[in-house]
Amino acid sequence: MGQIQLKDVKKSFGAVTVIPPLNLDIEDGEFVVFVGPSGCGKSTLLRLIAGLEDVSDGTLAINGADATDQPPGKRGLAMVFQSYALYPHLTVAENIAFPLRMAGLSRDEQSRRISAAADVLNLTDYLDRRPKQLSGGQRQRVAIGRAIVREPSAFLFDEPLSNLDAALRMGMRLEISELHKRLKTTMIYVTHDQVEAMTMADKIVVLNAGVIEQVGSPLELYDAPCNLFVAKFIGSPMMNIIEGDEAAKLGAAAVGIRPEHLDISTEDGLWQGTVGLSEHLGSDTFLRVHMDGMDNVLTVRAPGKVALRDGDRVYVSPQMSDLHRFDTDGLRMDA
Amino acid sequence: MTLTSTKRLGATYELQRGYRRMIYPAVIAVGIFAIVPLAGMFALAFSDYHLLRGTNWQFGFKNFARLLSDQRLMNSIYVMSILSFFGVATQVIIGTAVAVGLQKIVGRWRFGRILFLVPYAVPHVAVALIWLSLFTPTLSPINAFFDLFGITVPSFLTTQGGAMFAIVMADTWTNFPFAMLIILAALQGISPDLDEAAAIDGATRVKTFFFITLPLLMPALLMVTLFRFIDSLKHFPMIFVITKGGPGRSTQATNFYAYVQTFQNSNVAYGAAIAVTLFLMAALISFYVARLNQRVSQ
Amino acid sequence: MKHLLTTALVASFALAAPFAPTSAQAEEINVVMFGMPYTRGLQKLAGDFEEKTGIKANIDVIGQDVFENRITLSFTGRSGDIDVVHAPVIQVQRWVQANWLKPITAEVDAMPVKGDLMAGPLDAYRIDGEQFAVPFMAATGLMTYREDVLEAAGVGVPQTWAEMLEIAPKVTDGDQSAIALRAVPGQGFNMFIFPMIMRAYGGKFFADYTGGDLTPAINSPETLEALNVYSKLINDHAPQGAGNFNFAEVNAAAQNGQIVFAVEGTGVAAQIVDPEKNQYADVTGLALPPGGPAGRSPAIAVHGLGIPASAQNVAASAKFIEWAVSTETVTKIALSEPFANFTTQPVAENAEVIAKYAAIHPDFLQVQADALNLAIGHYRPLLPEWPSLGAAIGENINAAVNGLITPEEALENAEQEMRDILGQ
Repeated sequence: MGQIQLKDVKKSFGAVTVIPPLNLDIEDGEFVVFVGPSGCGKSTLLRLIAGLEDVSDGTLAINGADATDQPPGKRGLAMVFQSYALYPHLTVAENIAFPLRMAGLSRDEQSRRISAAADVLNLTDYLDRRPKQLSGGQRQRVAIGRAIVREPSAFLFDEPLSNLDAALRMGMRLEISELHKRLKTTMIYVTHDQVEAMTMADKIVVLNAGVIEQVGSPLELYDAPCNLFVAKFIGSPMMNIIEGDEAAKLGAAAVGIRPEHLDISTEDGLWQGTVGLSEHLGSDTFLRVHMDGMDNVLTVRAPGKVALRDGDRVYVSPQMSDLHRFDTDGLRMDA
Repeated sequence: MTLTSTKRLGATYELQRGYRRMIYPAVIAVGIFAIVPLAGMFALAFSDYHLLRGTNWQFGFKNFARLLSDQRLMNSIYVMSILSFFGVATQVIIGTAVAVGLQKIVGRWRFGRILFLVPYAVPHVAVALIWLSLFTPTLSPINAFFDLFGITVPSFLTTQGGAMFAIVMADTWTNFPFAMLIILAALQGISPDLDEAAAIDGATRVKTFFFITLPLLMPALLMVTLFRFIDSLKHFPMIFVITKGGPGRSTQATNFYAYVQTFQNSNVAYGAAIAVTLFLMAALISFYVARLNQRVSQ
Repeated sequence: MKHLLTTALVASFALAAPFAPTSAQAEEINVVMFGMPYTRGLQKLAGDFEEKTGIKANIDVIGQDVFENRITLSFTGRSGDIDVVHAPVIQVQRWVQANWLKPITAEVDAMPVKGDLMAGPLDAYRIDGEQFAVPFMAATGLMTYREDVLEAAGVGVPQTWAEMLEIAPKVTDGDQSAIALRAVPGQGFNMFIFPMIMRAYGGKFFADYTGGDLTPAINSPETLEALNVYSKLINDHAPQGAGNFNFAEVNAAAQNGQIVFAVEGTGVAAQIVDPEKNQYADVTGLALPPGGPAGRSPAIAVHGLGIPASAQNVAASAKFIEWAVSTETVTKIALSEPFANFTTQPVAENAEVIAKYAAIHPDFLQVQADALNLAIGHYRPLLPEWPSLGAAIGENINAAVNGLITPEEALENAEQEMRDILGQ
């Protein structure tokens, strides 16, 4: 069981409100990712759920019971910190055992759970080491180990992969996803990296300035961003946004089109422009096209290797079915 | 095959030489103002230098042989041990408690940090005078207060235990801020994430302190204890002003006794021998604490 | 090897002392004294001396413990950084024995002021026919008492310590105790006061001090009786905590109205009877300290100025001393500070000085003169070893007063330690 419900939850530090009243339901077993630019309040929201910050107003319920004023240790949640927060004076085994010791579990039960966790996380050979003798990825796994032995009703991850290098990050992403699949426990995961959000989440919560912009599955957000903020934030490379006359011609204050939904041709098309820099990834090529009569530089994805070079004149046309239209408030206009 | 005998200096030679030059002044200062007088003290300890009896400059172990059977020296070491143990323990405990409290406090109360430093800035003689008046029943506001309720507070300075208590109190009052400062600095070095992790792991405040904070403070605690211990061997001003070594001789710590022998009894050589003994004891204990520190910080 | 070591240790002392300014050439002298009314008054007059002689005098007035360390380092290191030094008579024998003071017989003989100085205090500085210092003050023991309390209790001023013990319970009332006496151990603390009682009962330090028999004789029935009286007064008739009182606490107790009697040195007694210092001053009387079967022996402490053996500019130092004890200088200090125990006689004839101290207490100068007449020069023995003897005896006396050991043990220990110190 790991159902979390936030009702009109508000957080202010003195006179500054960082999270205006906010409502959110997290279902049992869901993998929820809070994503947003830095300073958007996603970490604060996680800390409110963990009990590390006081809720200024509103209520927080865990598994249906009011937990607004419950101390963190009583909420049955486990948290993995960005810094891992391993106890430097304790060995790996002692670190993992710490929450069990605090809960007063018997020694036998402790060691049973430690070895089970170490098994899952490939830490068996490192149990006697201290944190500073471990690599970043190993430390991350110890932190996770310390979380899973508690058998919590939900895991909270606070940007857990941001201190790892790219290769390790990818590996850990998979490990966490697999862990979720196996444990089927609710996980709330905070990140500023939309790739992590897209690849791991069942449900993404996009936050901006303390406000939830949109909640939905990764594909919902990708295919139907409800406003310009979400449109720009989700997807890599970023969605092309065109404003002004060209947008008006298409019946909107602004239109958005993802790079893969632009067709490029040397013969004809809707818009004309000049090829600038190109990024060749092998499988794809991203072309930067400077458009005539527009301020924008459009990013166009062309499959495979493309023979176009810097300075070539090209035509670019959007695939109309995948065009996103936004009104003057930046909200999605549904056709 | 190499015929050139030029020593390889290495790429960092210039840099290293620069750093070495930075410590020259300290080396010279320590050399002149510590090593030379220390050597002088050792030499005196083996001599027969006496201001009144005349001096033949004969050197030997006579002073040290006498030390072994000196009842007053043994008593002074006992007094010093009691004063140092209770003084240092109280200072470290109170200093740590205040530091932990101050570190968690936010807002206006942070001024406490400056407030608590005040006692440390007061000269020892002034501190001693303040506490002397507090422990003199006819002058003490404490006694005056309890008198209002008809309670008679015993006079501390006329019993050995009371006089030692008074000295420990005065010493603690003025020196706990030192412990507090060091511990506060050490606390800043502990990631606040650890406290939060422990809170989530279900540890209470008290358990967090004993299982997480305290072990991590161990190296700093040992260092503070060592510094305060060495300093506590120099209890002189407190004793001189508050009790004059009394009642009787019951608060004459070892360095007070060295003063008595040197300045009062004119027996400079014997006083130096006591000082040397004190120095060696301090060095030995410091060495062990330093080793312990090394083990703990690993 | 021996020379090397000697050099090293002398160097170690010399380095610990502040570097000596080259005072001689610049006609500048350094004077080191410890704090008391006269020395503080003299410090303020340093400008007068420079005006008169063109010699600049740097007068340092420091705490007694600091003083002790400073001069020992300076003297043993022969650093010559002190030109004139505060010389308590009780220390001078020791300093002379250690060759720390310059004999200044010729210089003193040449001073016109010599004839104006009290003979007793001046002679106290004469050792083996040589003069080693010049006195500026002679403090004696005096007793202050609360006239109003004695009157209310219908008792007179006690003439003996036995009478004091008898009267004490009659004047005790609630928070008000009968008496306070210095008790803290030290040759200048309890050993300034206790010998008054000891000598009143016929106790003595040595078998025959004046006859030259320095066999310790403190463990006698007479001294034991005196110690019991002293101990009884402090434990049964003095305020709480009196077992650790020094002059400051005695003074405070008197000024707070917590005690009826105080037996103290002139400096403290003068403050107790001074209306500007003490609200009870106008009901406080002044008398000689009590006596006993063997008579009355007020304490005496002479302080003076001497020239360290290592001082370089003896002429300038002597000029300073002459100026410092001159009638003019001493009169100024007697008027500006609470300083009545001067040893320059003509000052006592100055009308302003007489008026000032009469205003403080009409009997003041008279009682002080009487006490000085009764005082014996060797009230505390004039021996090089006295500072250590006094400390050892004082510590044992204090231990007995505070019940750490019995009075019998205290005297036995004291006598044994005296023998040890004297190498007998």
